[in-house]
Amino acid sequence: MEEDVVVGGNAGLSRVLERILHSTIGLKAVMALTGLALVGFAFVHMAGHLQMFQGPAAYNHYAHMLQSLGGIKWAIRLGLLAACVLHAVAAFKLSMRNAKARPVAYAKQKWLVASIGARLMRPSGAIILFFILYHLLHFTALLVGTAGFVDVPFEQDGVAMVNVYQHMIVSFQNPLITVGYAVSVALLGVHLSHGIQSSLQTLGALNSTYRPFVKQLGPLLSGLLVAGFVAVPVAILARVIH
Amino acid sequence: MSSNHMNLKLKIWRQKNIAAPGGLVDIDAPGISPDMSFLEMLDTVNERLQEKGEEPIAFDHDCREGICGMCSLVIDGRPHGKEDRTTTCQLHMRKYADGDTITIEPWRASAFPVIRDLVVDRGAFDRIMASGGFVSVRTGGAPDANAVPISKHEADASMDAAQCIGCGACVAACKNASAMLFVGAKVSQYAHLPQGQPERNKRALAMVAQMDKEGFGACTNLQECEAACPKGISVRVIAEMNRDFLRASLLGAE
Repeated sequence: MEEDVVVGGNAGLSRVLERILHSTIGLKAVMALTGLALVGFAFVHMAGHLQMFQGPAAYNHYAHMLQSLGGIKWAIRLGLLAACVLHAVAAFKLSMRNAKARPVAYAKQKWLVASIGARLMRPSGAIILFFILYHLLHFTALLVGTAGFVDVPFEQDGVAMVNVYQHMIVSFQNPLITVGYAVSVALLGVHLSHGIQSSLQTLGALNSTYRPFVKQLGPLLSGLLVAGFVAVPVAILARVIH
Repeated sequence: MSSNHMNLKLKIWRQKNIAAPGGLVDIDAPGISPDMSFLEMLDTVNERLQEKGEEPIAFDHDCREGICGMCSLVIDGRPHGKEDRTTTCQLHMRKYADGDTITIEPWRASAFPVIRDLVVDRGAFDRIMASGGFVSVRTGGAPDANAVPISKHEADASMDAAQCIGCGACVAACKNASAMLFVGAKVSQYAHLPQGQPERNKRALAMVAQMDKEGFGACTNLQECEAACPKGISVRVIAEMNRDFLRASLLGAE
């Protein structure tokens, strides 16, 4: 076996990183780990978001608590940013490589078993990226879609908080924003219906016993996530929450 | 000519050599017996081409009994044709009907360049094997049978992976032209045996490095390879190889 490929004993951290970042499996592992981290965030985000059903006090307190985290908030934000960037850059690098690996397309090609979610990873991922940017500009930076947002703080027990509850109500009473949101979240579900199981397979965490189970669990978890996210805007549009 | 003979229309990839541009060419195949194998059908077409003084269609074949891994062909968009777990040589013309149009293309991958017509160079697989697809053993007297105990479960896992005939259908079926199922099978067949342990980390690192060097794509876990594999190699070998590769990489192991 070639000496330039394998070295004995202490390879050194740079050697380890080189092996990971310069191999297809290593880049896939980066995508899998960052993807799973983002799935974890999505579930926490969805759970927090469901507090809209508990009224303005509960929701604004939750948002205020997150904003008061200070350094921890920024650590989480930077971590999520890093995960998104690594995930997207690795996907881009691998996609370029994959396109080069099949320069001449088949005149005829049949899909045998690949699911819709698996075949739509690239377009769904790209649209989700744009959605995340819009979503941040909308609710975090307050730069777009802010028509009707009131600047009056929500006050309780002498604490003044940003009235995020009101922002949500106003935004999702707009059917255009609600539909755009629902479509984007549905695409996230499509992406994760393959992504969850694919991540675990890439990390070598699946065997013949668990693969069939996880193949059903992935789409189920994705469905739950979509349902949780879409429930709030739909409730607002239907004036269940107001 | 008996009445059950079929008249078929073929759309076949013809290419003079590795550098020449190729294209699909329409060729009529009349009077094909349903008892012929797919390759015998092509033999018949070739005989007629030669009678007319034309160049026969080049395609790979050897044992014609489904075990050598030489035959290839993407038939109507599927490697080895429409029958599950069957190589092209074992596909029979009774699976087709009179008047059918059949599209026949070579494996498509930059790592498998087309040499002529339907023949591709699968030397990339040989170089991957040479990089680590073996166990280094001392020569000498043959060891006693059963001297090294191994469980039935492990032996089966190794033998299932070792069924791979290296035909390249996995690469042909993959939308990324990835060779992960092939390399996974070759890593897994040793990883389940005691003899494979001393070089286990080295093997995974070396074979994956060679696979990447050959220009195969990355795995996106669509599992088309498993469905197209004439030997039914499971994608579990990919998970096993990933585990071995990542462990060896992270531990900085030899």
